[in-house]
Amino acid sequence: MILSLLLIILALFGAPLFTVIAASAMLGYYREGIDMMAMAIEVIGLANMPMLSAIPLFTFAGYLLSESGAPRRLVNLTTALFGWLPGGLALVALAACAFFTAFTGASGVTIIALGALLYPALQQDGYPDNFNLGLVTTSGSLGLLFAPSLPLILYAVVAEISIQELFKAGVLPGLLMLALLGGYCLWMNRDNRQPLKEFSWQRVYTAVGAAKWEIPLPIFVLGGIYSGLFAVSEAAAVTALYVLVVEVFILREISMKQLPDVMRESMLLVGGILIILAVSLASTNYMIDAGIPQKLLEYITNFVSSQASFLFLLFIFLLILGAILDIFSAVVLVVPLILPIAALYDVNQFHLGIIFLAAMQLGYLTPPVGLNLFIASYRFDRPIMNVYAATLPFLMILMVCVFIIMYWADLSLWLLTH
Amino acid sequence: MFLPTHLSVRFERWGTAAENAILVIFFGAMMLLAVAQIFLRIFFSFGFIWADELVKFFVLWIALVASIAASRSDRHLRIDILSQFIAHKHVKLPRAVANIFAAFVCGFLAWHSWRYIQLSIDFGDTVLTGLPAWIAYILLPVSFLLMAYRFMLAVGSEISAFFGRDSEIGNTK
Repeated sequence: MILSLLLIILALFGAPLFTVIAASAMLGYYREGIDMMAMAIEVIGLANMPMLSAIPLFTFAGYLLSESGAPRRLVNLTTALFGWLPGGLALVALAACAFFTAFTGASGVTIIALGALLYPALQQDGYPDNFNLGLVTTSGSLGLLFAPSLPLILYAVVAEISIQELFKAGVLPGLLMLALLGGYCLWMNRDNRQPLKEFSWQRVYTAVGAAKWEIPLPIFVLGGIYSGLFAVSEAAAVTALYVLVVEVFILREISMKQLPDVMRESMLLVGGILIILAVSLASTNYMIDAGIPQKLLEYITNFVSSQASFLFLLFIFLLILGAILDIFSAVVLVVPLILPIAALYDVNQFHLGIIFLAAMQLGYLTPPVGLNLFIASYRFDRPIMNVYAATLPFLMILMVCVFIIMYWADLSLWLLTH
Repeated sequence: MFLPTHLSVRFERWGTAAENAILVIFFGAMMLLAVAQIFLRIFFSFGFIWADELVKFFVLWIALVASIAASRSDRHLRIDILSQFIAHKHVKLPRAVANIFAAFVCGFLAWHSWRYIQLSIDFGDTVLTGLPAWIAYILLPVSFLLMAYRFMLAVGSEISAFFGRDSEIGNTK
Protein backbone atom coordinates (compact mmCIF):
# COMPACT_ATOMS: atom_id res chain seq x y z
CA MET A 1 0.00 0.00 0.00
CA ILE A 2 2.72 2.45 1.02
CA LEU A 3 4.76 1.43 -2.00
CA SER A 4 1.78 1.95 -4.32
CA LEU A 5 1.27 5.39 -2.82
CA LEU A 6 4.93 6.13 -3.40
CA LEU A 7 4.53 5.19 -7.06
CA ILE A 8 1.61 7.59 -7.42
CA ILE A 9 3.67 10.37 -5.89
CA LEU A 10 6.53 9.62 -8.25
CA ALA A 11 4.09 9.74 -11.18
CA LEU A 12 2.89 13.15 -9.99
CA PHE A 13 6.51 14.26 -9.67
CA GLY A 14 6.74 13.64 -13.40
CA ALA A 15 8.38 10.22 -13.61
CA PRO A 16 7.91 8.82 -17.12
CA LEU A 17 4.67 6.84 -16.99
CA PHE A 18 6.20 3.73 -18.44
CA THR A 19 8.64 3.48 -15.53
CA VAL A 20 5.83 3.87 -13.01
CA ILE A 21 3.81 1.15 -14.72
CA ALA A 22 6.85 -1.12 -15.01
CA ALA A 23 7.61 -0.63 -11.34
CA SER A 24 4.05 -1.46 -10.31
CA ALA A 25 4.15 -4.63 -12.41
CA MET A 26 7.50 -5.63 -10.91
CA LEU A 27 6.14 -4.97 -7.45
CA GLY A 28 3.25 -7.29 -8.24
CA TYR A 29 5.60 -9.96 -9.57
CA TYR A 30 7.73 -9.67 -6.47
CA ARG A 31 4.73 -10.20 -4.19
CA GLU A 32 3.57 -13.20 -6.19
CA GLY A 33 7.06 -14.66 -6.35
CA ILE A 34 7.23 -14.49 -10.14
CA ASP A 35 10.68 -14.16 -11.71
CA MET A 36 11.32 -10.63 -13.00
CA MET A 37 12.44 -12.10 -16.29
CA ALA A 38 8.73 -12.21 -17.05
CA MET A 39 8.94 -8.45 -17.61
CA ALA A 40 11.19 -9.03 -20.60
CA ILE A 41 8.81 -11.64 -21.97
CA GLU A 42 5.88 -9.22 -21.69
CA VAL A 43 7.77 -6.41 -23.41
CA ILE A 44 8.72 -8.76 -26.23
CA GLY A 45 5.00 -9.54 -26.39
CA LEU A 46 4.68 -6.21 -28.19
CA ALA A 47 5.95 -8.09 -31.24
CA ASN A 48 2.94 -10.42 -31.07
CA MET A 49 0.23 -7.78 -31.15
CA PRO A 50 -1.72 -7.61 -34.38
CA MET A 51 -2.03 -4.43 -36.46
CA LEU A 52 0.45 -2.52 -34.33
CA SER A 53 2.60 -1.50 -37.29
CA ALA A 54 -0.29 0.79 -38.26
CA ILE A 55 0.67 3.13 -35.42
CA PRO A 56 4.19 4.12 -36.52
CA LEU A 57 3.19 4.08 -40.19
CA PHE A 58 0.16 6.37 -39.88
CA THR A 59 1.97 8.66 -37.44
CA PHE A 60 4.86 9.13 -39.83
CA ALA A 61 2.50 9.80 -42.74
CA GLY A 62 0.67 12.38 -40.63
CA TYR A 63 3.81 14.22 -39.57
CA LEU A 64 5.08 14.24 -43.14
CA LEU A 65 1.79 15.67 -44.40
CA SER A 66 1.81 18.36 -41.74
CA GLU A 67 5.36 19.41 -42.65
CA SER A 68 4.48 19.65 -46.35
CA GLY A 69 2.20 22.06 -48.17
CA ALA A 70 -0.75 19.71 -47.69
CA PRO A 71 -2.40 21.75 -44.88
CA ARG A 72 -2.46 24.84 -47.11
CA ARG A 73 -3.94 22.87 -50.01
CA LEU A 74 -6.54 21.32 -47.72
CA VAL A 75 -7.61 24.73 -46.43
CA ASN A 76 -7.77 26.11 -49.97
CA LEU A 77 -9.87 23.21 -51.13
CA THR A 78 -12.34 23.36 -48.24
CA THR A 79 -12.57 27.14 -48.61
CA ALA A 80 -13.38 26.75 -52.30
CA LEU A 81 -16.07 24.22 -51.44
CA PHE A 82 -17.65 25.74 -48.31
CA GLY A 83 -16.23 29.23 -47.96
CA TRP A 84 -19.17 30.84 -49.74
CA LEU A 85 -21.64 29.65 -47.11
CA PRO A 86 -22.65 31.99 -44.27
CA GLY A 87 -20.16 31.44 -41.44
CA GLY A 88 -18.22 29.63 -44.09
CA LEU A 89 -14.72 30.09 -42.79
CA ALA A 90 -15.60 28.75 -39.34
CA LEU A 91 -17.10 25.68 -41.01
CA VAL A 92 -14.00 25.38 -43.17
CA ALA A 93 -11.90 25.36 -40.01
CA LEU A 94 -13.99 22.59 -38.44
CA ALA A 95 -14.09 20.40 -41.53
CA ALA A 96 -10.44 20.78 -42.47
CA CYS A 97 -9.24 20.21 -38.90
CA ALA A 98 -11.41 17.14 -38.41
CA PHE A 99 -10.16 15.63 -41.61
CA PHE A 100 -6.55 16.44 -40.87
CA THR A 101 -6.70 15.17 -37.30
CA ALA A 102 -8.15 11.86 -38.44
CA PHE A 103 -5.10 11.41 -40.64
CA THR A 104 -2.50 12.69 -38.19
CA GLY A 105 -3.69 11.01 -35.04
CA ALA A 106 -4.64 13.75 -32.64
CA SER A 107 -1.16 14.50 -31.43
CA GLY A 108 -1.44 18.26 -31.51
CA VAL A 109 0.03 18.65 -34.99
CA THR A 110 -3.33 19.90 -36.29
CA ILE A 111 -3.16 23.11 -34.27
CA ILE A 112 0.36 23.73 -35.40
CA ALA A 113 -0.16 22.86 -39.06
CA LEU A 114 -3.69 24.13 -39.70
CA GLY A 115 -4.29 26.56 -36.85
CA ALA A 116 -1.47 28.74 -38.06
CA LEU A 117 -3.28 29.12 -41.40
CA LEU A 118 -6.83 29.38 -40.11
CA TYR A 119 -6.37 31.68 -37.14
CA PRO A 120 -5.20 34.74 -39.10
CA ALA A 121 -7.71 34.01 -41.87
CA LEU A 122 -10.59 33.96 -39.38
CA GLN A 123 -9.32 37.19 -37.87
CA GLN A 124 -9.22 38.82 -41.28
CA ASP A 125 -12.80 37.81 -41.94
CA GLY A 126 -13.92 39.71 -38.85
CA TYR A 127 -14.67 36.87 -36.46
CA PRO A 128 -14.21 37.81 -32.80
CA ASP A 129 -10.77 37.04 -31.50
CA ASN A 130 -11.70 34.82 -28.57
CA PHE A 131 -14.06 32.85 -30.77
CA ASN A 132 -11.22 32.16 -33.21
CA LEU A 133 -8.85 31.11 -30.48
CA GLY A 134 -11.43 28.74 -28.99
CA LEU A 135 -12.39 27.36 -32.37
CA VAL A 136 -8.84 26.62 -33.46
CA THR A 137 -7.92 25.11 -30.09
CA THR A 138 -10.99 22.87 -30.09
CA SER A 139 -10.55 21.81 -33.69
CA GLY A 140 -7.13 20.39 -32.90
CA SER A 141 -8.61 17.15 -31.63
CA LEU A 142 -11.88 17.11 -33.50
CA GLY A 143 -11.36 14.27 -35.97
CA LEU A 144 -10.48 11.83 -33.23
CA LEU A 145 -13.49 9.62 -33.91
CA PHE A 146 -12.87 9.37 -37.64
CA ALA A 147 -10.80 6.63 -39.26
CA PRO A 148 -7.88 6.14 -39.32
CA SER A 149 -7.10 8.13 -36.18
CA LEU A 150 -4.43 6.79 -33.89
CA PRO A 151 -6.51 6.60 -30.68
CA LEU A 152 -9.15 4.51 -32.50
CA ILE A 153 -6.49 2.06 -33.67
CA LEU A 154 -4.85 1.89 -30.26
CA TYR A 155 -8.19 1.34 -28.54
CA ALA A 156 -9.10 -1.51 -30.87
CA VAL A 157 -5.70 -3.15 -30.35
CA VAL A 158 -5.89 -2.87 -26.57
CA ALA A 159 -9.54 -3.95 -26.30
CA GLU A 160 -8.98 -6.70 -28.89
CA ILE A 161 -11.96 -5.68 -30.98
CA SER A 162 -12.29 -5.22 -34.74
CA ILE A 163 -10.67 -2.00 -35.94
CA GLN A 164 -12.93 -1.81 -38.99
CA GLU A 165 -16.06 -2.00 -36.87
CA LEU A 166 -14.76 0.61 -34.44
CA PHE A 167 -14.04 2.89 -37.40
CA LYS A 168 -17.67 2.52 -38.45
CA ALA A 169 -18.92 3.17 -34.94
CA GLY A 170 -17.07 6.48 -34.80
CA VAL A 171 -18.57 8.02 -37.94
CA LEU A 172 -21.95 9.26 -36.69
CA PRO A 173 -20.78 10.44 -33.24
CA GLY A 174 -17.94 12.30 -34.99
CA LEU A 175 -20.43 13.93 -37.35
CA LEU A 176 -22.61 14.88 -34.38
CA MET A 177 -19.71 16.80 -32.85
CA LEU A 178 -19.08 18.55 -36.16
CA ALA A 179 -22.77 19.41 -36.57
CA LEU A 180 -23.22 20.85 -33.07
CA LEU A 181 -20.01 22.85 -33.19
CA GLY A 182 -20.91 24.04 -36.69
CA GLY A 183 -24.33 25.12 -35.47
CA TYR A 184 -22.75 27.01 -32.60
CA CYS A 185 -20.37 28.79 -34.98
CA LEU A 186 -23.26 29.90 -37.18
CA TRP A 187 -25.32 31.05 -34.22
CA MET A 188 -22.45 32.96 -32.62
CA ASN A 189 -21.76 34.83 -35.80
CA ARG A 190 -25.35 35.48 -36.79
CA ASP A 191 -24.79 39.23 -36.37
CA ASN A 192 -21.48 39.21 -38.12
CA ARG A 193 -23.00 38.93 -41.59
CA GLN A 194 -20.34 38.90 -44.20
CA PRO A 195 -21.40 39.63 -47.74
CA LEU A 196 -21.75 36.11 -49.14
CA LYS A 197 -18.84 35.19 -51.28
CA GLU A 198 -19.53 33.76 -54.63
CA PHE A 199 -19.12 30.10 -55.28
CA SER A 200 -16.75 29.71 -58.14
CA TRP A 201 -16.17 26.54 -60.12
CA GLN A 202 -12.94 28.02 -61.33
CA ARG A 203 -11.69 28.24 -57.75
CA VAL A 204 -12.75 24.69 -56.95
CA TYR A 205 -11.05 23.48 -60.10
CA THR A 206 -7.79 25.23 -59.20
CA ALA A 207 -7.88 23.93 -55.61
CA VAL A 208 -8.58 20.40 -56.76
CA GLY A 209 -5.76 20.66 -59.25
CA ALA A 210 -3.35 21.79 -56.56
CA ALA A 211 -4.36 18.95 -54.25
CA LYS A 212 -4.54 16.29 -56.94
CA TRP A 213 -1.88 14.17 -55.26
CA GLU A 214 -3.48 14.21 -51.83
CA ILE A 215 -7.11 13.73 -52.89
CA PRO A 216 -6.69 10.02 -53.76
CA LEU A 217 -5.31 9.37 -50.27
CA PRO A 218 -8.53 9.30 -48.22
CA ILE A 219 -10.29 7.54 -51.06
CA PHE A 220 -7.98 4.60 -51.26
CA VAL A 221 -7.22 4.43 -47.54
CA LEU A 222 -10.83 4.49 -46.40
CA GLY A 223 -12.09 2.64 -49.46
CA GLY A 224 -9.40 0.01 -49.06
CA ILE A 225 -10.16 -0.50 -45.38
CA TYR A 226 -13.95 -0.54 -45.62
CA SER A 227 -14.06 -2.73 -48.72
CA GLY A 228 -11.81 -5.26 -47.03
CA LEU A 229 -9.09 -5.01 -49.68
CA PHE A 230 -6.57 -3.83 -47.07
CA ALA A 231 -6.13 -4.65 -43.43
CA VAL A 232 -5.59 -1.48 -41.40
CA SER A 233 -1.87 -2.16 -41.03
CA GLU A 234 -1.61 -2.63 -44.80
CA ALA A 235 -3.49 0.59 -45.48
CA ALA A 236 -1.05 2.30 -43.12
CA ALA A 237 1.97 0.95 -45.01
CA VAL A 238 0.57 2.05 -48.36
CA THR A 239 -0.30 5.48 -46.97
CA ALA A 240 3.16 6.00 -45.50
CA LEU A 241 4.90 5.03 -48.73
CA TYR A 242 2.51 7.03 -50.89
CA VAL A 243 2.87 10.19 -48.80
CA LEU A 244 6.64 9.75 -48.78
CA VAL A 245 6.82 9.42 -52.56
CA VAL A 246 4.43 12.33 -53.20
CA GLU A 247 5.83 14.87 -50.76
CA VAL A 248 9.51 14.03 -51.13
CA PHE A 249 9.92 12.88 -54.72
CA ILE A 250 7.02 14.32 -56.72
CA LEU A 251 6.16 17.62 -55.03
CA ARG A 252 9.61 17.93 -53.42
CA GLU A 253 8.28 19.93 -50.51
CA ILE A 254 10.35 17.98 -48.02
CA SER A 255 13.99 17.41 -48.80
CA MET A 256 15.83 14.16 -48.23
CA LYS A 257 17.83 16.04 -45.63
CA GLN A 258 14.73 16.94 -43.61
CA LEU A 259 13.35 13.43 -43.82
CA PRO A 260 15.29 11.86 -40.90
CA ASP A 261 14.22 14.73 -38.65
CA VAL A 262 10.55 14.33 -39.52
CA MET A 263 10.88 10.60 -39.01
CA ARG A 264 12.56 11.07 -35.64
CA GLU A 265 9.97 13.59 -34.53
CA SER A 266 7.10 11.26 -35.39
CA MET A 267 8.82 8.26 -33.82
CA LEU A 268 9.30 10.14 -30.52
CA LEU A 269 5.55 10.07 -30.09
CA VAL A 270 5.33 6.47 -31.29
CA GLY A 271 8.10 5.33 -28.94
CA GLY A 272 6.39 7.05 -26.04
CA ILE A 273 3.10 5.28 -26.75
CA LEU A 274 4.47 1.85 -27.57
CA ILE A 275 6.81 1.58 -24.58
CA ILE A 276 3.85 2.31 -22.30
CA LEU A 277 1.85 -0.32 -24.16
CA ALA A 278 4.71 -2.81 -23.75
CA VAL A 279 5.10 -2.44 -19.98
CA SER A 280 1.32 -2.28 -19.57
CA LEU A 281 1.10 -5.77 -21.03
CA ALA A 282 2.93 -6.85 -17.89
CA SER A 283 0.95 -4.77 -15.42
CA THR A 284 -2.40 -5.66 -17.00
CA ASN A 285 -1.64 -9.36 -16.92
CA TYR A 286 -0.64 -9.06 -13.30
CA MET A 287 -3.77 -7.11 -12.40
CA ILE A 288 -5.99 -9.65 -14.13
CA ASP A 289 -4.19 -12.52 -12.40
CA ALA A 290 -4.61 -10.78 -9.08
CA GLY A 291 -8.33 -10.39 -9.78
CA ILE A 292 -8.33 -6.61 -9.58
CA PRO A 293 -11.09 -6.09 -12.18
CA GLN A 294 -13.30 -8.46 -10.18
CA LYS A 295 -12.64 -6.61 -6.94
CA LEU A 296 -13.35 -3.32 -8.67
CA LEU A 297 -16.51 -4.85 -10.04
CA GLU A 298 -17.75 -6.04 -6.67
CA TYR A 299 -17.04 -2.65 -5.23
CA ILE A 300 -18.86 -0.78 -7.96
CA THR A 301 -21.91 -3.03 -8.03
CA ASN A 302 -22.49 -1.99 -4.43
CA PHE A 303 -23.43 1.51 -5.50
CA VAL A 304 -24.34 1.27 -9.12
CA SER A 305 -27.30 -0.71 -10.25
CA SER A 306 -28.29 0.55 -13.68
CA GLN A 307 -26.44 1.03 -16.94
CA ALA A 308 -27.37 4.70 -16.97
CA SER A 309 -25.80 5.39 -13.60
CA PHE A 310 -22.76 3.33 -14.53
CA LEU A 311 -22.29 5.43 -17.67
CA PHE A 312 -22.59 8.62 -15.67
CA LEU A 313 -19.99 7.42 -13.20
CA LEU A 314 -17.76 6.43 -16.12
CA PHE A 315 -18.15 9.89 -17.60
CA ILE A 316 -17.03 11.60 -14.39
CA PHE A 317 -14.13 9.19 -14.09
CA LEU A 318 -13.02 9.76 -17.68
CA LEU A 319 -13.28 13.51 -17.29
CA ILE A 320 -10.89 13.43 -14.34
CA LEU A 321 -8.66 10.91 -16.09
CA GLY A 322 -8.56 13.06 -19.21
CA ALA A 323 -7.54 16.09 -17.21
CA ILE A 324 -4.38 14.42 -15.93
CA LEU A 325 -3.49 11.73 -18.45
CA ASP A 326 -2.98 11.86 -22.21
CA ILE A 327 -5.37 9.86 -24.35
CA PHE A 328 -2.84 7.19 -25.35
CA SER A 329 -1.72 6.30 -21.83
CA ALA A 330 -5.32 6.37 -20.67
CA VAL A 331 -6.39 3.88 -23.33
CA VAL A 332 -3.56 1.51 -22.56
CA LEU A 333 -3.91 1.65 -18.80
CA VAL A 334 -7.59 1.93 -18.13
CA VAL A 335 -9.37 0.11 -20.95
CA PRO A 336 -8.43 -3.43 -19.80
CA LEU A 337 -9.85 -2.61 -16.37
CA ILE A 338 -13.17 -1.16 -17.45
CA LEU A 339 -13.92 -3.70 -20.21
CA PRO A 340 -15.22 -6.45 -17.88
CA ILE A 341 -17.15 -3.94 -15.77
CA ALA A 342 -18.83 -2.36 -18.78
CA ALA A 343 -19.71 -5.83 -20.06
CA LEU A 344 -21.54 -6.52 -16.82
CA TYR A 345 -23.68 -3.42 -17.36
CA ASP A 346 -24.38 -4.56 -20.89
CA VAL A 347 -22.54 -1.74 -22.60
CA ASN A 348 -21.71 -2.70 -26.17
CA GLN A 349 -17.93 -2.86 -26.62
CA PHE A 350 -17.88 -0.60 -29.68
CA HIS A 351 -20.18 1.89 -27.98
CA LEU A 352 -17.87 1.83 -24.97
CA GLY A 353 -14.90 2.55 -27.21
CA ILE A 354 -16.57 5.59 -28.72
CA ILE A 355 -17.68 6.86 -25.30
CA PHE A 356 -14.17 6.41 -23.95
CA LEU A 357 -12.47 8.26 -26.79
CA ALA A 358 -15.10 11.00 -27.00
CA ALA A 359 -14.78 11.67 -23.28
CA MET A 360 -11.00 11.61 -23.48
CA GLN A 361 -11.20 14.13 -26.31
CA LEU A 362 -12.55 16.55 -23.72
CA GLY A 363 -9.33 15.96 -21.84
CA TYR A 364 -7.43 17.80 -24.58
CA LEU A 365 -9.36 20.91 -23.59
CA THR A 366 -9.77 20.63 -19.82
CA PRO A 367 -7.57 22.64 -17.50
CA PRO A 368 -5.06 22.33 -15.98
CA VAL A 369 -3.10 20.13 -18.34
CA GLY A 370 -5.12 19.83 -21.57
CA LEU A 371 -2.61 19.39 -24.38
CA ASN A 372 -4.43 21.55 -26.94
CA LEU A 373 -4.64 24.45 -24.50
CA PHE A 374 -0.89 24.52 -24.13
CA ILE A 375 -0.12 24.07 -27.78
CA ALA A 376 -2.52 26.90 -28.64
CA SER A 377 -1.16 29.15 -25.91
CA TYR A 378 2.36 28.54 -27.16
CA ARG A 379 1.56 28.69 -30.86
CA PHE A 380 -0.58 31.84 -30.80
CA ASP A 381 1.35 33.46 -27.97
CA ARG A 382 -1.64 34.01 -25.70
CA PRO A 383 -1.78 33.61 -21.92
CA ILE A 384 -3.06 30.21 -20.89
CA MET A 385 -5.96 31.66 -18.86
CA ASN A 386 -7.12 33.43 -21.99
CA VAL A 387 -7.09 30.15 -23.90
CA TYR A 388 -9.04 28.41 -21.10
CA ALA A 389 -11.75 31.05 -21.26
CA ALA A 390 -11.94 31.14 -25.04
CA THR A 391 -12.24 27.36 -25.25
CA LEU A 392 -14.85 26.96 -22.51
CA PRO A 393 -18.03 27.35 -24.65
CA PHE A 394 -16.71 24.85 -27.16
CA LEU A 395 -15.84 22.46 -24.35
CA MET A 396 -19.42 22.74 -23.07
CA ILE A 397 -20.82 21.83 -26.47
CA LEU A 398 -18.51 18.86 -26.76
CA MET A 399 -19.64 17.76 -23.32
CA VAL A 400 -23.24 17.82 -24.52
CA CYS A 401 -22.11 15.70 -27.49
CA VAL A 402 -20.48 13.16 -25.19
CA PHE A 403 -23.72 12.94 -23.19
CA ILE A 404 -25.73 12.30 -26.33
CA ILE A 405 -23.19 9.72 -27.48
CA MET A 406 -23.32 8.04 -24.09
CA TYR A 407 -27.08 7.71 -23.76
CA TRP A 408 -27.91 7.15 -27.40
CA ALA A 409 -26.10 3.90 -28.15
CA ASP A 410 -27.66 3.54 -31.58
CA LEU A 411 -25.83 6.59 -32.80
CA SER A 412 -22.61 4.58 -32.47
CA LEU A 413 -24.07 1.23 -33.40
CA TRP A 414 -26.41 2.09 -36.27
CA LEU A 415 -23.75 1.80 -38.96
CA LEU A 416 -22.64 -1.54 -37.53
CA THR A 417 -26.06 -3.07 -37.94
CA HIS A 418 -27.05 -1.51 -41.24
CA MET B 1 28.23 15.98 -14.92
CA PHE B 2 29.62 12.53 -15.43
CA LEU B 3 31.88 13.24 -18.34
CA PRO B 4 34.07 16.14 -19.44
CA THR B 5 31.93 18.59 -21.39
CA HIS B 6 33.50 18.27 -24.81
CA LEU B 7 33.27 14.50 -24.66
CA SER B 8 29.64 14.46 -23.58
CA VAL B 9 28.70 16.96 -26.28
CA ARG B 10 30.32 14.71 -28.84
CA PHE B 11 28.48 11.74 -27.34
CA GLU B 12 25.23 13.64 -27.73
CA ARG B 13 25.84 14.33 -31.38
CA TRP B 14 26.89 10.79 -32.21
CA GLY B 15 24.06 9.34 -30.19
CA THR B 16 21.42 11.43 -31.93
CA ALA B 17 22.88 10.62 -35.34
CA ALA B 18 22.95 6.90 -34.51
CA GLU B 19 19.35 6.92 -33.27
CA ASN B 20 18.19 8.76 -36.36
CA ALA B 21 20.06 6.40 -38.69
CA ILE B 22 18.67 3.31 -36.97
CA LEU B 23 15.14 4.71 -36.94
CA VAL B 24 15.33 5.56 -40.64
CA ILE B 25 16.63 2.10 -41.51
CA PHE B 26 14.13 0.20 -39.35
CA PHE B 27 11.19 2.32 -40.37
CA GLY B 28 12.08 2.25 -44.07
CA ALA B 29 12.57 -1.50 -43.98
CA MET B 30 9.29 -2.06 -42.17
CA MET B 31 7.38 0.11 -44.62
CA LEU B 32 8.88 -1.48 -47.74
CA LEU B 33 8.47 -4.99 -46.40
CA ALA B 34 4.82 -4.37 -45.55
CA VAL B 35 4.10 -2.85 -48.96
CA ALA B 36 5.94 -5.68 -50.73
CA GLN B 37 3.80 -8.22 -48.88
CA ILE B 38 0.61 -6.50 -50.04
CA PHE B 39 1.89 -6.36 -53.59
CA LEU B 40 2.75 -10.06 -53.55
CA ARG B 41 -0.57 -10.97 -51.99
CA ILE B 42 -2.75 -9.01 -54.38
CA PHE B 43 -0.93 -9.73 -57.61
CA PHE B 44 0.61 -13.13 -57.01
CA SER B 45 -1.49 -14.53 -54.15
CA PHE B 46 1.77 -15.21 -52.40
CA GLY B 47 3.68 -14.02 -49.36
CA PHE B 48 6.60 -14.83 -47.12
CA ILE B 49 5.53 -16.12 -43.73
CA TRP B 50 8.65 -14.69 -42.09
CA ALA B 51 7.92 -11.23 -43.47
CA ASP B 52 4.89 -10.69 -41.26
CA GLU B 53 6.84 -11.78 -38.22
CA LEU B 54 9.74 -9.54 -39.19
CA VAL B 55 7.43 -6.52 -39.56
CA LYS B 56 6.24 -7.16 -36.01
CA PHE B 57 9.81 -7.31 -34.74
CA PHE B 58 10.50 -4.02 -36.50
CA VAL B 59 7.65 -2.50 -34.51
CA LEU B 60 9.25 -3.74 -31.28
CA TRP B 61 12.69 -2.47 -32.30
CA ILE B 62 11.34 0.90 -33.41
CA ALA B 63 9.50 1.19 -30.09
CA LEU B 64 12.73 0.54 -28.19
CA VAL B 65 15.01 2.81 -30.22
CA ALA B 66 12.36 5.54 -30.27
CA SER B 67 12.13 5.24 -26.49
CA ILE B 68 15.84 5.91 -26.19
CA ALA B 69 15.33 8.92 -28.44
CA ALA B 70 12.36 10.03 -26.35
CA SER B 71 14.41 9.91 -23.16
CA ARG B 72 17.13 11.96 -24.83
CA SER B 73 14.66 14.60 -25.99
CA ASP B 74 12.61 14.46 -22.78
CA ARG B 75 9.52 13.40 -24.67
CA HIS B 76 8.30 10.44 -22.67
CA LEU B 77 4.66 10.69 -21.70
CA ARG B 78 4.39 11.97 -18.14
CA ILE B 79 1.82 13.51 -15.88
CA ASP B 80 3.03 17.07 -16.07
CA ILE B 81 0.93 18.57 -13.35
CA LEU B 82 3.48 20.04 -10.93
CA SER B 83 4.83 22.55 -13.40
CA GLN B 84 1.35 24.08 -13.56
CA PHE B 85 1.45 25.04 -9.91
CA ILE B 86 5.07 25.41 -8.90
CA ALA B 87 7.72 27.78 -10.15
CA HIS B 88 9.77 26.45 -13.02
CA LYS B 89 12.96 26.21 -11.01
CA HIS B 90 11.43 24.39 -8.08
CA VAL B 91 9.94 21.70 -10.29
CA LYS B 92 13.49 20.57 -10.97
CA LEU B 93 13.89 18.89 -7.61
CA PRO B 94 10.88 16.53 -7.72
CA ARG B 95 11.73 15.95 -11.36
CA ALA B 96 15.22 14.88 -10.36
CA VAL B 97 13.77 12.44 -7.80
CA ALA B 98 11.42 11.09 -10.47
CA ASN B 99 14.27 10.65 -12.92
CA ILE B 100 16.47 8.85 -10.38
CA PHE B 101 13.56 6.46 -9.95
CA ALA B 102 13.17 6.13 -13.74
CA ALA B 103 16.87 5.37 -14.14
CA PHE B 104 16.65 2.76 -11.43
CA VAL B 105 13.63 1.06 -13.04
CA CYS B 106 15.29 1.05 -16.46
CA GLY B 107 18.45 -0.41 -14.99
CA PHE B 108 16.38 -3.13 -13.40
CA LEU B 109 14.59 -3.86 -16.66
CA ALA B 110 17.92 -3.98 -18.48
CA TRP B 111 19.35 -6.47 -15.99
CA HIS B 112 16.34 -8.79 -16.10
CA SER B 113 16.02 -8.72 -19.86
CA TRP B 114 19.72 -9.56 -20.04
CA ARG B 115 19.04 -12.56 -17.79
CA TYR B 116 16.16 -13.56 -20.04
CA ILE B 117 18.39 -13.42 -23.09
CA GLN B 118 20.93 -15.71 -21.45
CA LEU B 119 18.16 -18.13 -20.69
CA SER B 120 16.92 -17.98 -24.24
CA ILE B 121 20.45 -18.72 -25.51
CA ASP B 122 20.66 -21.73 -23.16
CA PHE B 123 17.34 -23.04 -24.45
CA GLY B 124 18.34 -22.39 -28.06
CA ASP B 125 15.15 -20.40 -28.79
CA THR B 126 14.71 -19.37 -32.41
CA VAL B 127 12.66 -16.74 -34.23
CA LEU B 128 11.82 -16.10 -37.89
CA THR B 129 13.33 -18.97 -39.86
CA GLY B 130 15.66 -20.51 -37.35
CA LEU B 131 17.50 -17.35 -36.34
CA PRO B 132 18.72 -17.40 -32.72
CA ALA B 133 16.16 -15.47 -30.70
CA TRP B 134 18.73 -13.40 -28.81
CA ILE B 135 19.42 -11.42 -31.99
CA ALA B 136 15.85 -10.19 -31.95
CA TYR B 137 15.87 -9.56 -28.20
CA ILE B 138 19.30 -7.98 -27.71
CA LEU B 139 17.97 -4.46 -28.17
CA LEU B 140 15.93 -4.89 -25.01
CA PRO B 141 18.74 -4.69 -22.40
CA VAL B 142 20.72 -2.29 -24.58
CA SER B 143 17.90 0.21 -24.87
CA PHE B 144 16.87 0.03 -21.21
CA LEU B 145 20.48 0.53 -20.19
CA LEU B 146 20.82 3.56 -22.46
CA MET B 147 17.57 4.96 -21.09
CA ALA B 148 18.86 4.52 -17.54
CA TYR B 149 21.98 6.44 -18.57
CA ARG B 150 19.87 9.20 -20.15
CA PHE B 151 17.71 9.58 -17.07
CA MET B 152 20.82 9.86 -14.87
CA LEU B 153 22.15 12.61 -17.15
CA ALA B 154 18.82 14.40 -16.82
CA VAL B 155 19.09 14.16 -13.03
CA GLY B 156 22.48 15.85 -13.25
CA SER B 157 21.22 18.73 -15.32
CA GLU B 158 18.10 19.13 -13.19
CA ILE B 159 20.07 19.33 -9.97
CA SER B 160 22.49 21.85 -11.38
CA ALA B 161 19.56 23.87 -12.77
CA PHE B 162 17.96 23.82 -9.34
CA PHE B 163 21.09 25.24 -7.79
CA GLY B 164 21.08 27.97 -10.36
CA ARG B 165 23.76 26.91 -12.77
CA ASP B 166 22.91 26.42 -16.41
CA SER B 167 23.84 23.02 -17.58
CA GLU B 168 25.59 22.42 -20.85
CA ILE B 169 23.94 19.13 -21.59
CA GLY B 170 20.57 17.71 -20.80
CA ASN B 171 17.38 18.39 -22.65
CA THR B 172 18.46 18.92 -26.22
CA LYS B 173 15.14 19.67 -27.80
